[in-house]
Amino acid sequence: MKDYDAIVIGAGNAGLSAAATLQRGGMRTLLMERHNIPGGCATSFVRGDYEFEVALHQLSGLGTEDQPAILRHVFDSMGISDKVDYVEEHHLYRYAVPGVIDITLPASVKGIISVLSEAFPAEADKLKPFLDLCEVLTLEAYMAYPRAKATGDPEVIKKNCRNFVKYGLRNAKDVLDEFFDDPVLKGVLGGYWGYMGLPLKELPFSDLGVMLYAYAAMKPWHVVGGSQALSNALLDSFLEAGGDVRFNCGAEQITTDNGAVAAVRTEHGEIFTTNQVVSNASSILTYNQLLDRPELAGDVREDFKSRRMGVSGFVLYLGLDCTPEDLGIEVATNFIANTIDDEAQHAEALTLDGAPKGCLFTCYTVGDETLAPKGKSVVALMCLQYGSAWDNVKPEDYAATKFAYAEKLIDLAETVIPSVRAHIEEIEVATPMTMMRYLNTPGGAIYGFSQGIAEHGAVRDRVRPVHGLHLAGSWSGMGGFQPTYQAGASVGGSILRKQNKKAG
Amino acid sequence: MTLKDIRSVIDGFDATRAQMEDLAETGQDFANEGARFQTRVASLHPKRLALTVSELVEETATTRTLRLTGDAGTLPPFLAGQYVNLFVTVDGVETARPFAISSAPQECGHYDLTVRKIPGGFVSPWLVEGLQVGAKVSSSGPMGSFYVNPIHHGDDLVFLAGGSGVAPAISMIRDIAARRLPVKFHLIYGSRQTDDVIFQRELSELDAACDFLTLTQVISEPNDTYQGRSGFIDAALMSEVCGEMTGKTVYLCGPPAMNAVCAKMLKDIGVTDKRLHIEANGPPVDPTARAGWPTGIGADQKITVTVNGRGSFETTAGEPLLNALEKAGYQVENACRSGECSLCRIKVLSGDVFNPSEAKLRQSDRRFGWVHSCVAYATSDVEILL
Ligand SMILES: Cc1cc2nc3c(=O)[nH]c(=O)nc-3n(C[C@H](O)[C@H](O)[C@H](O)COP(=O)(O)OP(=O)(O)OC[C@H]3O[C@@H](n4cnc5c(N)ncnc54)[C@H](O)[C@@H]3O)c2cc1C
Ligand SMILES: Cc1cc2nc3c(=O)[nH]c(=O)nc-3n(C[C@H](O)[C@H](O)[C@H](O)COP(=O)(O)OP(=O)(O)OC[C@H]3O[C@@H](n4cnc5c(N)ncnc54)[C@H](O)[C@@H]3O)c2cc1C
Ligand code: FES
Repeated sequence: MKDYDAIVIGAGNAGLSAAATLQRGGMRTLLMERHNIPGGCATSFVRGDYEFEVALHQLSGLGTEDQPAILRHVFDSMGISDKVDYVEEHHLYRYAVPGVIDITLPASVKGIISVLSEAFPAEADKLKPFLDLCEVLTLEAYMAYPRAKATGDPEVIKKNCRNFVKYGLRNAKDVLDEFFDDPVLKGVLGGYWGYMGLPLKELPFSDLGVMLYAYAAMKPWHVVGGSQALSNALLDSFLEAGGDVRFNCGAEQITTDNGAVAAVRTEHGEIFTTNQVVSNASSILTYNQLLDRPELAGDVREDFKSRRMGVSGFVLYLGLDCTPEDLGIEVATNFIANTIDDEAQHAEALTLDGAPKGCLFTCYTVGDETLAPKGKSVVALMCLQYGSAWDNVKPEDYAATKFAYAEKLIDLAETVIPSVRAHIEEIEVATPMTMMRYLNTPGGAIYGFSQGIAEHGAVRDRVRPVHGLHLAGSWSGMGGFQPTYQAGASVGGSILRKQNKKAG
Repeated sequence: MTLKDIRSVIDGFDATRAQMEDLAETGQDFANEGARFQTRVASLHPKRLALTVSELVEETATTRTLRLTGDAGTLPPFLAGQYVNLFVTVDGVETARPFAISSAPQECGHYDLTVRKIPGGFVSPWLVEGLQVGAKVSSSGPMGSFYVNPIHHGDDLVFLAGGSGVAPAISMIRDIAARRLPVKFHLIYGSRQTDDVIFQRELSELDAACDFLTLTQVISEPNDTYQGRSGFIDAALMSEVCGEMTGKTVYLCGPPAMNAVCAKMLKDIGVTDKRLHIEANGPPVDPTARAGWPTGIGADQKITVTVNGRGSFETTAGEPLLNALEKAGYQVENACRSGECSLCRIKVLSGDVFNPSEAKLRQSDRRFGWVHSCVAYATSDVEILL
């Protein structure tokens, strides 16, 4: 008899979801996490009187209570629906480039069309067709395509997924160009590119289109208590079902026997036997470092070569001694840039020499005052940045370098939201090195590998060389909150189905 | 492959597969990526540092400075004002205490910790009297947010130090001097008696050498020959030596009682939360005196703690759970031992636990019963999950 039916390595979104699914499905599961708290990216920390959300800017996929969308069902199935409260955000984002545009998109398809029609009357008639395309693309990508593909018949794919076939893998810039002329309008509609970390010309249009439609139709959400509340709820559900958890307990080795998973050894030298391991750690670490015989990874190592390190972030967590109204902001999510050129913005992510050209200013206290003391605000001010930008920063220069870049980021934010600096009461600066430290993630990458067209699920083949070893998380699928929760639930579900088949 | 992939019907599929092949030509298998970034992270934030006591300096009758040298060469950089958590075994108990680094960040071969013996303390007497040169100890990496933050602290800095609280102050002063930072720094340093003043000589030398530094020393229990300022650091003294407080950033680091009194005094004279930075204090000296402590329960009340699946032991209500666990032989990660860093987080499965205001708990940790064990007190029999 094995110590556990399954062991989950890492308590990020995907690890927690997999663990909760497995344990609730009747498999005795051990969840081990090297940090002292569940969540991975989905966490918060406290400084002084403030609680800072680390990663979640806008949760997608929930839908409203009346019209629940997929993620609500997934959360239901994991038993956390009565453990978490949400706050609906009524806007997608404000997009502000001083001297060029300052516009706010409401969180509804109709609202977006009406706001943009007014601002860009010459292109008004193309807005509805464009957003309709985003909608059908969403349905096709997630419903029609998987079914059509399962038939094995290319004609069925062609017939049932017409839009996906035509637009799915095209780059987002290309499609925006096809519909619109005004570069500013294209900038506004492409605003979410930063959430995927690559400029529009490298992103599959289906990712951008789905995101835009999904936030507009299913609303962006905040979580009361931040994403840590979701992480704590998932863990609670796992524990209630009888699961075992170990914190401060990194996995050090996945031991195999005849090419199949046999056990996991922890950093403290304990060994737990099992036949099923779900790794929420990066695939890079899982196959190159954790697996006792990396040569077993064969094909995966080859596959890695066609992938590229994904982007990380540079984030300021700000506790401000004033309200959002005092700052003059009404919208939680503010994209602020000094150019509408996404490629120029993205180029700054590769180096510390220049200054950021685009950033995201998220004020969590718009709509939810509970994260800050009365009359104060919590803000995350973020720009994209690759881990490699820090490669040549010497340890002794680390602090000064991060403070210097933080100043530049605040300067950029102040072009739209003046007097941020004067209101700072608490500040923490997180760099890609910080992400590496807390998440054990190569490159500090926050969405796993670079999310270009070549990463799209429709072009990748699944490689799973080690029997009983499953990957779940941003390195083996799409990054971000909704995708990783779903990935964990789905990996857990498929292990359960196989197990039950064997048993039955 | 002879059969055409059915996905080829998707526009761009074949082109993307071709692109993947090109990428594979120039890509890498990331075989060394893990070791590479983990080494870099460890150079900034090691989990544990192996250290040797290379020198011991008597500062006063009750205080000495431990010079700790890294067994692996240079030590991770720190920001002046930060602390390390020193792990030790005293009377067979594995425990730890945080101490501010008193040396300058520019001296990267060692950390100096300046430790004052607390009467009745468990660890500090041993560090001041028991530790020998050559002893091996370990510590956390440098931690904490009590440092001069260039982004919003401004250039007019005031530091109120009491007793060993001068340790982070002297590190800051040495750092400002070494980097020639464009700031003013006023150290107001209170001690009980002239014999208790730590770093008297160094401070006088720095005062003479550094234009940016103003030094005000106060003795609360002066002897007959003492000529300087006496009394406590209070509003009258502040207004006399500092004048208008607007625009000044104040750091406060002293024994718990001093921190409490001075924090209130500073607020009364108009120092806002934003301008006031108070170093952590450790657990409350008397938790039973705090608001919210259940009536009828004394600090000596006997409590049984059951560790889920791992046995049980007895302690008292007034003992922080972390200390009680360590004495009973359980190991719990920790660093600040003051409720701030959350490393000692544990879950309360049943029973009542008192969380004083030091416990900087996340909103959802409260909801799901997680506490910071270094400042958590069991006020009934409890079951916990480690
Ligand atoms: C600053 C920031 C902002 C972001 N903003 C957004 C956003 O607005 N919207 C969005 O959708 N997404 C956002 N993301 C991305 C999103 O948070 C992540 O893609 C997602 O949470 C990743 O989840 P995961 O399950 O893949 O793994 P992770 O969260 O990376 O968790 C992996 C876990 O595994 C643990 N682990 C690793 N190695 C080991 C080991 N050997 N043994 C034991 N445990 C191990 C780690 O400690 C970690 O807890 C952001 C991320 C960051 C950091
Ligand atoms: C971030 C941080 C930095 C610190 N830096 C230094 C430093 O540079 N030098 C230094 O000497 N100490 C420093 N301390 C205090 C130190 O960590 C210990 O708390 C102190 O040495 C007492 O430990 P102990 O084991 O002797 O006493 P314990 O056995 O822990 O406590 C015994 C009694 O003393 C009380 N007590 C604990 N600490 C203090 C204190 N500082 N003053 C008065 N009463 C106290 C306790 O509440 C308890 O009642 C620091 C503490 C923190 C949190
Ligand atoms: S040790 Fe830092 S909160 Fe307890």
